[in-house]
Amino acid sequence: MGDEMLNEKLTKRISDHEGIIYKICNTYCYNKGDREDLAQEIIYELLKSYHSFNESYKFSTWMYRVALNVAISFYRKSKTNEVISFNETHADCADKNDDSPELEKNLCTLQQFISELKELDKALMLLYLESKSYKEIGEIIGITETNVATKISRIKNNLKQKFSQIN
Amino acid sequence: MNDPELKELLESYNHQLQEAKVLNLQSWVLNLQCFESLQKQKAKSKLRSLINFKIVAVILGILWISFLGYLLYYSMDMSKIFFVISAAAIIVCTLIAIIVYLNQIALISKINRGENVLKAQETIAHLKLSTINITRILFLQTPFYCTFWWSTEMIVNEPTAFWFISFPIALLFTFAAAWLYKNISIKNVHKKWFRILFNSPEWNSLVKANNFLQEIEEFKKEKF
Repeated sequence: MGDEMLNEKLTKRISDHEGIIYKICNTYCYNKGDREDLAQEIIYELLKSYHSFNESYKFSTWMYRVALNVAISFYRKSKTNEVISFNETHADCADKNDDSPELEKNLCTLQQFISELKELDKALMLLYLESKSYKEIGEIIGITETNVATKISRIKNNLKQKFSQIN
Repeated sequence: MNDPELKELLESYNHQLQEAKVLNLQSWVLNLQCFESLQKQKAKSKLRSLINFKIVAVILGILWISFLGYLLYYSMDMSKIFFVISAAAIIVCTLIAIIVYLNQIALISKINRGENVLKAQETIAHLKLSTINITRILFLQTPFYCTFWWSTEMIVNEPTAFWFISFPIALLFTFAAAWLYKNISIKNVHKKWFRILFNSPEWNSLVKANNFLQEIEEFKKEKF
């Protein structure tokens, strides 16, 4: 396959899964500039590493691995891992027009909760939100299925607890 | 909040994350595929900056070895035995550090981001921590900076100055270097003396890398 065709195929594949990049950038970065920088770094790394992609695996699994690895390194290096405060979150939320203030409030609380998670737990949560199977989450992160299940259950319980404290 | 409510909330959040577009992705992919853009982006990448730092260190090390080698070449004489031994020892230590740095550069280039998250992050953290070995080696050479100007004439003609000033200073540096070689290790990164001695961005990133490694180890454990 020629370079041009390969590039075209890769562009299409990345575009088909662009949601992965948006989700990861929005989860790991809280300011616009950082999100753009991270998105560019992820795309660069995907282009650079594509030769190592094994076609017998799912493209989305490989893309998640690359993107999460870049995001975690970026997050640790850039020091933008400040936790957004409740006030800040709610101020942001107040700017948005939404017909369902209750849902909006809960989404803000959830965003705050996820922002407080450690980077590996964030990755886990992100994959869980995507409805990935525990097996695939385990393959992406590098832990066993049982461990994935245990950790997700713990995170969900903490989240429920947080909501029960608020309400 | 019950399970169905939580599920609904998580689905809404997932939708919200995906909808908040960061940039015009397709145009960026096309743009980055141009070689020139790739090179510019490469220069900006975080790992690239780590490689650049190590390349500068290697170049400075080679220049230093060349300079000492030149002096050594013209000092091959018994009257300059202390200088010859000291310069040779410094060259050896610097050479080892250069080899370790070159090895690190090769390892950084081989990092595969397509590996599972824990494996790739562990490799990166271990790489950062290997800087500690270079520092230990470099500290070993410090006593030789106290001995290169010694000479037999100096010992014979000015024994008091030699035995009461120069020699104890060199001895002190030898003990300090040996102590630092033994104690500069990951297990001591949280100690006060360590933080005072190595309060720089690179060392702070080592501390962070070590903490992250512990976090990874903790993450691997299955806790019920």
